[in-house]
Amino acid sequence: MVDISRRAVVGLLGLGVAGTAISWPRLTGRDIPGRGDDALTVALFGTQQDAAARQALVEGFQKKHPDVAVRIVAIQGQDWSEYFAKILTMIAAGSPPDVVTVATEGTQLFASRLAHPIDEYVQRDADEMQEYFDDVHPALIESFMYKGSLFQLPDNFNAANVFYNTTALERSGFERPADDWSLEDFFSVARGMKSGADGRFLPYFWNNRLWGGVVPWLYVNKTSFLTEEKASGGDWFWNRFYPSEAPRGGGYLWERADALNDRAVESFEVLQQMVSEGIAANPAQGGGNELVALFSSGQVGMTPAGGFWVKGLHDAGVANDDYDVTFFPRMAGQRHQFGAGGYAIMQTSERKDEAWEWLKYCVSMEGMAIAHPQPDSSLPRRSLNTKLYGAGTGPAHWQVFYDTLDKFPDTGPMPAPPQQAAVESALIKNVVGAITNGPGGVRRGLENMQRDLELALKGR
Amino acid sequence: MSTTSSTQAPAASDSVARSGATRRPRLLISLFLAPTVIGLALFSFLPIVASVVLAFFRWDIITSPEFVGLDNFARLASNPTVRVSFLNTIGFVATAVVVQLAVALLLAILVQSKMPNWLRTFFRSTLFFPLILSAASVSLIMAYLFNQEFGLVNEVLGWIGIAKVGWLTTGFGAKVVVLLVYVWQNFGFTFLLFIGGIAAIPKEVYEAASIDGATGWKQFWQLTLPLISPTMLVASVMAIINALQIFDQPWVLTRGGPGDETRTAVMVIYESAFRQLDFGGASAIGVVLTLLIMLVTAIQFQLSKRFVFYG
Repeated sequence: MVDISRRAVVGLLGLGVAGTAISWPRLTGRDIPGRGDDALTVALFGTQQDAAARQALVEGFQKKHPDVAVRIVAIQGQDWSEYFAKILTMIAAGSPPDVVTVATEGTQLFASRLAHPIDEYVQRDADEMQEYFDDVHPALIESFMYKGSLFQLPDNFNAANVFYNTTALERSGFERPADDWSLEDFFSVARGMKSGADGRFLPYFWNNRLWGGVVPWLYVNKTSFLTEEKASGGDWFWNRFYPSEAPRGGGYLWERADALNDRAVESFEVLQQMVSEGIAANPAQGGGNELVALFSSGQVGMTPAGGFWVKGLHDAGVANDDYDVTFFPRMAGQRHQFGAGGYAIMQTSERKDEAWEWLKYCVSMEGMAIAHPQPDSSLPRRSLNTKLYGAGTGPAHWQVFYDTLDKFPDTGPMPAPPQQAAVESALIKNVVGAITNGPGGVRRGLENMQRDLELALKGR
Repeated sequence: MSTTSSTQAPAASDSVARSGATRRPRLLISLFLAPTVIGLALFSFLPIVASVVLAFFRWDIITSPEFVGLDNFARLASNPTVRVSFLNTIGFVATAVVVQLAVALLLAILVQSKMPNWLRTFFRSTLFFPLILSAASVSLIMAYLFNQEFGLVNEVLGWIGIAKVGWLTTGFGAKVVVLLVYVWQNFGFTFLLFIGGIAAIPKEVYEAASIDGATGWKQFWQLTLPLISPTMLVASVMAIINALQIFDQPWVLTRGGPGDETRTAVMVIYESAFRQLDFGGASAIGVVLTLLIMLVTAIQFQLSKRFVFYG
């Protein structure tokens, strides 16, 4: 072994200590831009590019509030559950953001544990807020109420509508479906599309997930896999801001599993029939990216999607007249599902007043227009939605996006209780089994789903 | 005689140990080992201890932990998903490890057989290559390939008249795909271990066996296999430990489905902790899985006394 003197060892130690001291900001993460700054921290679900795209929004906000520094933190994840989990780890690590973007999937989780109700702020700035509420459908606001309190202001939403390939429809000899088309009409169109296409074509493609999966087929049949109830309270809001509307209550409650009701069984049997007939895909788990590629290449006839798809299809080079959008077909009813997104203020935030100003700015005409320069989502403000989709990018019947709320006023958010992640897992886990084991397998699959949902809702 | 030497030897070594000449290398060794030891303590040992402690608490990150004794373990035993996930994991390990070792050994023997050096290098590289790919990326691509409606695999099968197979939507199909993807991606390391083991066998042994009339098959069973048995032990221990922790492939390919058909123990740990915020329950599953790994490894080492030949 090389003989190293004591002096050399001490020297090495000294070098080590000096190196550690020099790299201390890196080791502790203090050199990360913005960390430790006195700024309003806004966490959003997306990439660094998404964060950069919000810079115009930050600049617009700072023109009104030059004394408030804003730091956008982008959090990437495969789905909303992963995003929420990362927010929770930020809280555990002692660096919670002040404001977070939350979609319907996490609204009740955040409302029940992490978010600060905005009731006082809304009432304090009622005159200012009235202009926003006048422009927004109440169903969207109701979806952000929890047990009588309001937690978010919607700044985007997407209802599950049916996007269809116009060439495939024309090839099948059908006209554009009527707004109130029936399930039988849907089957006729799908069968027509299939008979006129080659083997790699599927009339109806869908993914196994909460948004746009099996839920639309439950909702149009006036049912769900959870019992839907309304919480009491909320009059303070409805009476003040929507005086001409019947009060809608204090928000949705989904506390009991209901996967075995007759209508749920019927909806699953419909899907089972579609899959066994070969007019619908056996759904794989996944997001929309795969779907955009399949749809844009003409391999898919119809699929559930929302306004967010317009930009995706445009980017993929799909011409406006290559596709169109319509409502989901009618079964017992024609209720649709939607998901909305907005910002929530964290309970732990020490900048709640500033956070409220951020929320207000993001739903203002100016803020919402800056945040959504292209048709990447339906906008809760009617006026802006019309401006966005009426500008020439998108399907001919883009009015369907907002009409879903206006024409079917019972349209509501997808079921997402505070235990949403466990509930979603229980749903997704049992869908494929319920629809692929023949007509007799539907009830067996739903029995398993009922058991798993009861476990999920019971909590731990 | 023995008395003298036994009393003198320690005294002599003590005096040497106290000398500066011996202390310095020890100090230096400690110094160089310190970062690793500290790293292991902070990032491996401490989390293990923490998760064992956490297994006795109810904790959702947001509220304070609450001591619940063995409640988390009791919930484990009564949760059908946890039971199924452990059975799936054990079933997966049993098949994956056998297939992985067999494929790796077969290919290692083939690559070590007579062939030009450049070809050998080519095979070594290409067979090892899948290991350096990200499991998530590979699984994502495989999910496209095995898609029932639009996947390339069903397309090719269609050319020879085979109807579309629900690779990821039927229990058997999903298990086969997960197994295939996992083995393809992981046999490379085992393959390299076997190449090293086979290369270390002296040629003279085979020459002597040939002179005694042993054929290639006999040489394999009676020479190659016994002489690489230590390598086989290491390879199987590592393969089993890795396979018991399978997560990426079934998570990306099937999310555990259809139903619970491909749900594994580590997936349930992840889902419990990060989707259901049940960190106590997740830790309890982790503890049970760790004990299972330790038990299996101990059994392997016990059995190795009978089957491993150290020359």
